[in-house]
Amino acid sequence: MKRYDLIIVGAGPSGLSAAIEAAKKGLNVIVFDENEKPGGQLFKQIHKFFGSKEHRAKVRGFVIGRQLLEEAAEAGVTVKLNATVIGLYQDKEVVVKQGAGIKHYKADSVVIATGAAENMVLFPGWTLPGVIGAGAAQTMMNLHGILPGKKILMLGSGNVGLVVSFQLMQCGCEVVALVDAAPRVGGYGVHASKVARCGVPFYLSHTIVEAEGEEYVKGVTIAEVDDKFRFIPGTEKHFEVDTICMAVGLSPMSQLLKMAGAEMTDDPRRGGQVPVCDKYGRTSIPGVFAAGDVSGIEEASSAMIEGRMAGVIAAQFLGYIDKEELDKELAELDKALDGLRQGMFAPANRGKLIEKTEEGIDISSNLLKKGYVADDEIDRFPGVTHKKGIHPVIECTQNIPCNPCQDACPKKCISIGDNITSLPIAVYEGDCIGCGMCVASCSGQAIFLVDEDCGDGSATITIPYEFLPLPKEGTKGVALGRNGHVVCEAEVVSVRSATAFDKTHLLTMRVPKEYAMTARFFKEAEREVSR
Amino acid sequence: MADRIEEHPILGVVEKGRKVCFSFDGKEIEGYEGEPIAAALKAAGVMVHRYTQKEHKPRGIFCAIGRCTDCVMIVDGVPNVRTCITPLKEGMAVRTQYGVSDKAFEEQ
Repeated sequence: MKRYDLIIVGAGPSGLSAAIEAAKKGLNVIVFDENEKPGGQLFKQIHKFFGSKEHRAKVRGFVIGRQLLEEAAEAGVTVKLNATVIGLYQDKEVVVKQGAGIKHYKADSVVIATGAAENMVLFPGWTLPGVIGAGAAQTMMNLHGILPGKKILMLGSGNVGLVVSFQLMQCGCEVVALVDAAPRVGGYGVHASKVARCGVPFYLSHTIVEAEGEEYVKGVTIAEVDDKFRFIPGTEKHFEVDTICMAVGLSPMSQLLKMAGAEMTDDPRRGGQVPVCDKYGRTSIPGVFAAGDVSGIEEASSAMIEGRMAGVIAAQFLGYIDKEELDKELAELDKALDGLRQGMFAPANRGKLIEKTEEGIDISSNLLKKGYVADDEIDRFPGVTHKKGIHPVIECTQNIPCNPCQDACPKKCISIGDNITSLPIAVYEGDCIGCGMCVASCSGQAIFLVDEDCGDGSATITIPYEFLPLPKEGTKGVALGRNGHVVCEAEVVSVRSATAFDKTHLLTMRVPKEYAMTARFFKEAEREVSR
Repeated sequence: MADRIEEHPILGVVEKGRKVCFSFDGKEIEGYEGEPIAAALKAAGVMVHRYTQKEHKPRGIFCAIGRCTDCVMIVDGVPNVRTCITPLKEGMAVRTQYGVSDKAFEEQ
């Protein structure tokens, strides 16, 4: 039986991070993963991540995946793929299914980083081909280059539902509706806004009545629900779709820990059955640690930090580093993790209705109900200012831990300050030069460059644009408002692309000046879809 | 192959293996070597992978990562193969699975 200092189960963001840290401290580490490729779900994440520089903010998920794999290779980590861990027994005996055979390994410490599985909701027709998980949609489109469907209804308005809806549109699918039984949008307002302004209607307090079709999905009926989640008769709405996508939460895959005899608890705030563990992932079994979604559903960014914590803790457990070094490392990681767990969406705030920002500003009620900030609400946020000439309009209206915009501006026009969740404000230490770095660096695509009055009755608006085909200078079309409805005619005056923008193109459109503060998306005339 | 993404705004041109032929219920279909069988079938417009044993209800891709077993089919004579995580090879014979058989229920 082969022995290792540390066996890690799961080669996702937390497992790889744990492996890198432990291997750097000199541990003999192996990582098992049941999949054909490492990286967990990171390679399906094509949006820019939130956070600050230390959290790899504004880097796209799949790029972070590549970076982790490089770091793991450099640190000398062995990753065994197509290897399903099927048992975790006494004295840290790990049983692994590889191909048709089963092998036994022995470890002195174990990190369980198995992540989470998707939840589903049941409705008549939910088993029909064409009803898929949001993860399946991401796997098909972002890993295999296959369209998950043509006309899609998304169920779930958490970050997964919002992000995947946007990704579906990026690869050419039509998202006909975004539906959630909850009365409020669950994910970040900025993610919702970028979906809403493309014209996707939001149906909160609605859920699926039935999926239609004999052999596969041909349509879907939704209806409004009351505060006890009962259907309200007469509120049914029908959509012709070929695909229904479910993004209704995740559950920790903690079975191995339970099997090993770790003390477990049922904690709905952490997503279900999770191990009882301290904040560094020490379970009730000495030398067995949990990291990432398996110990509580969060984001990939926090999973990577938890993984690093587990890695250094395992190193200290086996005596590769002393207590002093451990405390030093953990203090730093604590700071990084605390930074991510701030703001309105912090784990401690889960399920709470927050009505005011940290600054005391009323949260947009329209944002929570319909996915976009209404035109008469936007001016109350500090990033939205009016100024002669070109200037950034920062439509960031919720306290989330994210700050790349303040470093992006070479003229220091944008400030967040030391509190990472503060709403960005336009300070204009220098004059805006219209470089667009802020537009491209905003992971939430919430910054626009606006010249409210060009002097000839027109205004120009620069928007982040991540679709194909890329409109050209001179392309005529319409400007859409925050709600995705046509507000006026528009013409593209420039499209800028640069390596530093990382695939976010800056599209500048000209509109009549009275629409400077309402036009927020561009649609080519001939490609306009009737709604 | 209209269901394939030729160029993606973020991921660029989708890299694929060599184009190969395989069969679905005896019909010849094209796909790319190494991609999941389910991806090649989806691109060819195949939605139904199997019918359930008791109720004879259709099933297709659901999780696409090998967890749910909804997409299992008969591949080269072997039933219950998870097509979403089994790489496509040239000449594979993929058949719709009825219960655990490749014969339609009325012939079983």
